[in-house]
Amino acid sequence: MKYMKLMIYNFVFGLSLLVSGALSAQDLELTVIGNPQSVPSEMNMNQLQSVLKGEKFRWDDGSPVRIALMKTNTPIGTTTCNKIYNMTGNELNKYFLALVFQGKVKAPTFFNSVSELESYVAQTPGAIGVLQNSTDDQIKIILVDGKKQI
Amino acid sequence: MDKIKKRLIFLISFLVWLNFNNYVIAQKTQIKGFANVNAFVQDGKLNFGIGEQDLFITSELNDDFSFLGETVFKYSPNSPTHFNVSIERIIINYNFKGNHSLLIGKHHTPINYWNDTYHHGRVFFPTIDRPLLFAAGAIPIHTTGIAVQGLNLGKLKFGYNVMIGNGLGSYEVMDNDKYKSVTAAVHIKPHDRFQIGASFYNDIISEGAEVNGRVIDEKVNQQLYTATIAHFGKKFELLTEGTFASNRANSTGMVHSFLSYLYAGYRLKEKWVPYIRMDYLKYQEEEFYYEKDDTTSFLAGLRYEISYLIVVKMEYQYIDREESGQTSLFNTQIAIGF
Repeated sequence: MKYMKLMIYNFVFGLSLLVSGALSAQDLELTVIGNPQSVPSEMNMNQLQSVLKGEKFRWDDGSPVRIALMKTNTPIGTTTCNKIYNMTGNELNKYFLALVFQGKVKAPTFFNSVSELESYVAQTPGAIGVLQNSTDDQIKIILVDGKKQI
Repeated sequence: MDKIKKRLIFLISFLVWLNFNNYVIAQKTQIKGFANVNAFVQDGKLNFGIGEQDLFITSELNDDFSFLGETVFKYSPNSPTHFNVSIERIIINYNFKGNHSLLIGKHHTPINYWNDTYHHGRVFFPTIDRPLLFAAGAIPIHTTGIAVQGLNLGKLKFGYNVMIGNGLGSYEVMDNDKYKSVTAAVHIKPHDRFQIGASFYNDIISEGAEVNGRVIDEKVNQQLYTATIAHFGKKFELLTEGTFASNRANSTGMVHSFLSYLYAGYRLKEKWVPYIRMDYLKYQEEEFYYEKDDTTSFLAGLRYEISYLIVVKMEYQYIDREESGQTSLFNTQIAIGF
């Protein structure tokens, strides 16, 4: 009986962890950040999707667009794939590998940690990235459809 | 003395290695590769075979210039080592304004979607091998020359590519004649994952030129008109292309051929895609430039995408050729990216 209770407890605990994990991946609010130089302060969702898909090579001032993303197996990376690209992580990796192989886009830079991504965006003119939230003063937060978070 | 010498060599090697690493990181150079292994049943026996090993390098030289190289190692029975190394693409890209670029080098001719998209990466191919119009030598797969390219322009995501090259019969390092090939390709992407395109190719192939291992015995004026519809949706996949070829020589006049294929697939689950492909090659009776061999082929297969870097395909193909009759083939392939 004791073991039975323990098993039920473990099962419920495991299930709650799984559910909360799945919810947290889907419910993460994303913030789009950009290097203060070149990257516009505001764009709509269609423009953002186009930029992050590598369809725009240069910003209006001529600086090259540099895409910075969290790796697709991180919670932020997974949410970015779902919310912005409407793809799975696997689809996104295939999408960029195929386009780089065709010579039609420059490969995005993928990061393991948010601090590395922030630092890259802060130091690289034309860089745009996606993360959960940012407090770095050197980075511009880009409004998407007028909102700070998507 | 030897000890000092050894330490000095170690130090120099370390510094060279360190500098090389910095150089590579600063340039953002990436090396990727593709390979595949096949197993197939033919003439009543099971065969195993290795495919091409494709090494692919990209490098950003600065904000405007980048490099792309693709080198293939493949089986070649006539080589002393039974293997050949071939440079499939070397492209120096100058992004001169917005989404417009100047490309110079050896390209895959942007004559159709398949040739411009999949190159030698079997892991990307929706089927095990290319459509039959490639093996028939119907289209110029490579062009060495210069191109102006624009991508994702305007709301329809219009794209263009105008290429001038050495043309058919030329060598890797120089042209064999004074005639240049011209390729003009356009496409639009009115919806996500959907593309419509068309292209025109014009070339004059000189007498004595060697094309696809055959010596051309009379000057040929060639025009190719190609149309493409491509849709790779979340569930449904469709790719169909047709090339209408006109070849003209003084002795035979103008002859026409039509070469096409249609691929369709449906994603049942995230990783499973059953598919079909039909190929249709029809030559005019007087065709002299291509090897006239009217062909109809039907292929049914199943693709299992373990991940974007590992794909297994199984196929049955039935081919009916005018010259060699009917054949069928069971084929399985594992294609990887690394």
